[in-house]
Amino acid sequence: MGKADKYDMYSVEMEKPSGGDMEVKIKKKKKGEQKKEKLENMKKEMDVNDHQLSIEELEMKYRTNTTKGLTSAVAEEILLRDGPNELKPPKGTPEYVKFARQLAGGLQCLMWVAAAICLIAFGIQCGQGDLTSADNLYLAIALIAVVVVTGCFGYYQEFKSTNIIASFKNLVPQQATVIRDGDKFQINANQLVVGDLVEIKGGDRVPADVRIITGQGCKVDNSSLTGESEPQTRAPECTHESPLETRNIAFFSTMCLEGTATGIIINTGDRTIIGRIASLASGVENEKTPIAIEIEHFVDIIAGLAIFFGATFFVVAMVIGYPFLKAMVFFMAIVVAYVPEGLLATVTVCLSLTAKRLARKNCVVKNLEAVETLGSTSVICSDKTGTLTQNRMTVSHLWFDNQIHTADTTEDQSGQSFDQSSETWRALCKVVSLCNRASFKSGQDNVPVPKRIVIGDASETALLKFSEITLGNVMEYRERFKKACEIPFNSTNKFQLSIHELDDPRDQRHLLVMKGAPERILERCSTIMIKGQELPLDEQWKEAFQTAYMDLGGLGERVLGFCHLYLPQSEYPRGYNFDSDEMNFPTSGLCFAGLISMIDPPRATVPDAVMKCRTAGIRVIMVTGDHPITAKAIAASVGIISEGSETVEDIATRLRIPVEQVNKRDARACVVNGGQLKDMETEELVEILKMHPEMVFARTSPQQKLIIVESCQKLGAIVAVTGDGVNDSPALKKADIGVAMGIAGSDAAKNAADMILLDDNFASIVTGVEQGRLIFDNLKKSIAYTLTKNIPELTPYLIYITVSVPLPLGCITILFIELCTDIFPSVSLAYEKAESDIMHLKPRNPRRDRLVNEALAVYSYFQIGAIQSFAGFTDYFTAMAQEGWYPLKCVGLRADWENDHLQDLQDSYGQEWTFGQRLYQEYTCYTVFFISIEMCQIADVLIRKTRRLSVFQQGFFRNKVLVIAIVFQLCLGCFLCYCPGMPNIFNFMPIRFQWWLVPLPYGLLIFVYDEIRKLGVRRHPGGWWDKELYY
Amino acid sequence: MATLNEKKTCSQRMENFQRFVWNPDTGQLMGRTLINWVWISLYYVAFYVVVTGLFALSIYSLMKTLNPYTPDYQDRLKSPGVTLRPDKYGEKGLEIYYSLSSNNSWNGFVTTLENFLAAYNESVQRDNKNCIGEDYFFQNSFHPPNHTKCSCKFTREMLENCSGLTDPTFGYSEGKPCVIIKMNRIINFLPGNGTAPKVNCTTLEENRLVDAHYYPANGTFSLHYFPYYGCKAQPTYVNPLVAVKLLNISLNKEVAIVCKVVGARITSGNPHDPYEGKVEFKIRIKN
Repeated sequence: MGKADKYDMYSVEMEKPSGGDMEVKIKKKKKGEQKKEKLENMKKEMDVNDHQLSIEELEMKYRTNTTKGLTSAVAEEILLRDGPNELKPPKGTPEYVKFARQLAGGLQCLMWVAAAICLIAFGIQCGQGDLTSADNLYLAIALIAVVVVTGCFGYYQEFKSTNIIASFKNLVPQQATVIRDGDKFQINANQLVVGDLVEIKGGDRVPADVRIITGQGCKVDNSSLTGESEPQTRAPECTHESPLETRNIAFFSTMCLEGTATGIIINTGDRTIIGRIASLASGVENEKTPIAIEIEHFVDIIAGLAIFFGATFFVVAMVIGYPFLKAMVFFMAIVVAYVPEGLLATVTVCLSLTAKRLARKNCVVKNLEAVETLGSTSVICSDKTGTLTQNRMTVSHLWFDNQIHTADTTEDQSGQSFDQSSETWRALCKVVSLCNRASFKSGQDNVPVPKRIVIGDASETALLKFSEITLGNVMEYRERFKKACEIPFNSTNKFQLSIHELDDPRDQRHLLVMKGAPERILERCSTIMIKGQELPLDEQWKEAFQTAYMDLGGLGERVLGFCHLYLPQSEYPRGYNFDSDEMNFPTSGLCFAGLISMIDPPRATVPDAVMKCRTAGIRVIMVTGDHPITAKAIAASVGIISEGSETVEDIATRLRIPVEQVNKRDARACVVNGGQLKDMETEELVEILKMHPEMVFARTSPQQKLIIVESCQKLGAIVAVTGDGVNDSPALKKADIGVAMGIAGSDAAKNAADMILLDDNFASIVTGVEQGRLIFDNLKKSIAYTLTKNIPELTPYLIYITVSVPLPLGCITILFIELCTDIFPSVSLAYEKAESDIMHLKPRNPRRDRLVNEALAVYSYFQIGAIQSFAGFTDYFTAMAQEGWYPLKCVGLRADWENDHLQDLQDSYGQEWTFGQRLYQEYTCYTVFFISIEMCQIADVLIRKTRRLSVFQQGFFRNKVLVIAIVFQLCLGCFLCYCPGMPNIFNFMPIRFQWWLVPLPYGLLIFVYDEIRKLGVRRHPGGWWDKELYY
Repeated sequence: MATLNEKKTCSQRMENFQRFVWNPDTGQLMGRTLINWVWISLYYVAFYVVVTGLFALSIYSLMKTLNPYTPDYQDRLKSPGVTLRPDKYGEKGLEIYYSLSSNNSWNGFVTTLENFLAAYNESVQRDNKNCIGEDYFFQNSFHPPNHTKCSCKFTREMLENCSGLTDPTFGYSEGKPCVIIKMNRIINFLPGNGTAPKVNCTTLEENRLVDAHYYPANGTFSLHYFPYYGCKAQPTYVNPLVAVKLLNISLNKEVAIVCKVVGARITSGNPHDPYEGKVEFKIRIKN
């Protein structure tokens, strides 16, 4: 199916004005009716309107009762109807299909065809009554064995990484509190049904999609669904027509952070919002990896050349006068000799070596081919929350003494701290520590502060940790200031207040501390503390406050105001009965202490990693569900929007002109939010992506993420997507390579991804890119090495046919070269270091920089391969001549030589040879030719170490594995030659020592010639040499 | 990747291909401009001239090192092969099947023998020497005019009853057929270690001596035919032969016979070369 069709298939239209609306139209084309129907149903079910119904209507709809819940009987009935409340695991590919897929790649298919051809050739030979040679049968068996063995290897690799992923899954069954028949039960969450009345409290995972009926300070963490780091309040009121935005629905699998709530379940299992996103992900088809495309391209070349050679020599054979069947056998033999049997193993092993290397750096690769994909990546679409950021609120700025101070937001507190000597700071710090209800879970004294588990909402947690770090033991500090009264935060007051006794026994006053929304706090203040002095809060200070507030807000941070008041002892003595409902104490005329702002800060390693991606020519795009301002701020701080880049809006404000008048091309950066995105045509989006190099997408829905990825792919980019949430999973799947976070990532994301960062470190992606690029280069070298010997394997046959010399190289011997001696050296090239700083190059252009290009094939085949052939024939003729057969005698000898009824064939000296003696002589030739290829291949592996640099610049012996491989190759060659019994099993003969030396001059020639070529390429970049001889 | 995967229609493919063959915009023919083609062709011509030159040079120097009279190595020729005439191969090796009643069934064998023995006519071997010594005939020097060495005469008369001169049917017509055993020649090979090697025919299964006459007497290869000095030194050399006249072949029965050449340095036990030092054949005479 064409790409264009695929694109239409998932085009998504947002019909309602809200950005997060889930109504999705999935247009299906060319798919079965049944599936279409299913998707239509899915679409219908997406119209969630339960949040707009009144409680009575809900009771009607779900046959339930808001106090007593469902009756057990009804619940059971519904359970039978709907099935258990759990996400169906994405339809896993059956194991045998996975295995079959390993056997059906491009190269594999080529080899299957070759094996079939061998069997046919064998059949033809049998039919002719020639039972002497079972070479073709062996060849077929060997080919099949290669495919099966490498298939098993690949399958095992995949199986292993799937197991790692399986181990992530949390197997502990989740419990939920449900009210049925008026009684409370604790049941497994998978037993819940639609209509059940459930209770949720802080720390619980929401067991299904729940319509809230009652709630007390209930807050949920929606970050895995929408990307918002901030806790979202959940209350009974419907606040938005979109189910995703409204406050009275809590979603399956989100976390309830604090408070309690009761609600009626409106969706379970796969019908929940999360479930639908997950199934959306499973509907997205996996993209073919670039390396798979490259290998396909390469197989095309190989198959084309094989058929070309085969056909040419078929015609030649016919013209020379061979019988048709014989010519047919020749044709097949040539095609088979041409198939690089060892290449499959080489590629698989090279990729898995890199996968292993990456695993050591905490990148687990699920799909072997994905290893290389990162190297070709030209665009990374990254989620913000949890990927670029730490996914925890942290105090980032403070404003006191009319000055903005920056707090340390690094994960390990390695950053700079601000000046803490001011009196104001001490006052502010007191307010921060006391006016806070969050507390550490006990027994964590040895855990570093940022990692401790806190009970309380995100901003209170941030403040608690902040004061713990700056002040020391906060819990003890709070005990010293006994709390006399407290008013928790609520949405009407928008402040939180507490009253404490001072710890100084001589000072019997009370201290009132308050925090809340800055503007509300300011309203209640009459003075402001500057450098420890209480100054009246005049217009000038108010303006200063406003500026600071706007500045911090503009950074996408959540700002809180803090103030305090010492209550006069005369009016409020110790033991005064403070009443939090009556508020029998002053709540205005307070003293303003300062502002504190919080943000979910970027991970420490991210800016550096983004920078490295940039130098590597990779564009990093942020795609998040969070608010545009926050997204832009984070993008700016991690370098996705680089310093000095402006958006259209920025330019407009700077020049004080309306946005419409700004030339859009002047703006490097662009922030697009989901609302704008939904009104955009695809072409428009592509246009924007082209126009602005620095992009941030905010408030995006999972479907929109998918569209963004597709648009990038339309531009010809290879797209990597990083993410952790369920909302990222469709995009992860759609991407050329999806990278999920191992710790923070949800199972859905991990399932959809091709690669998992076990340490959640974005910087690992850079390592991945580097390794991917390296393996691409090294695979190129490996393939060049492997392809070269195809020519010296093929030419003996061609000469055999055309000049009718005794066969210089047998099929079995070819198999030994391909599958035995040359595998290790070609794999060892995977250990080669990069020739230049590959991270300073642009990503390869998938259309131009192919894995196997014309130059590589031509240079390997017609130059190096040709020299190798000459080496082989020199050695062949030497061995023949020294044993009594002059080169000219050999020409035209084939028919007599192979006649097994001729027991007294005369050689050039008049000696008479039996057929058996000739056969052993032929085996000697095989062996000699084999040794020649081996010797030349040693030179070949040395020249393949580099493509541009001189081998001496690269370091002759720096690749230890390669040195070992050469030694191994030599030992194996010796073993094959001199092991007793070899002549009759594998047709290897012990050969004279000097025949090892005959090909050496040719090996030297290969080495010197290639050094000259590299010199030419280095000296004249872009010149003729570079164009014609650089691969 | 999107654009890469796009399926092209057939006409698009054809158009692309045409563009590849001749691109009028850049003047490229099959991906290269004409001048480019000339350069690359010249480069390849030069490359192959050099490499072929190297190859020719190495073959030339190889030929220079070779001794024209004796090969450098005789690794495969440790023991001579033995051949049989007439050599008619059936499904499983040499077969002499014929029936007495039909002349046509054995005419072929007679012709083969006659043709084979043509080289042993006195007229052909006029230049050869009549050797009588009973020891190896070593010749250390070459003789003018052609810088050759003498060859010993072996004429068909020496095969007496099997020479085809007295009995032109070589005994086939009477059910006592002649077969001729020939030992392959190997340069400087000295069989028998001083005693003449001897042909010894037995039945294959029972290892029983076959009732036969051997010509020359005793079925020996005279030592004066050895050593062989190669076709350049002894252009008129002929292999000594032993003819075996099988006397008592039971009619209508297939008999497998193995004829071994017995003598020191001649091995015949190689399972991978059935013609080394011996020759096996089957004979069946119908009436």
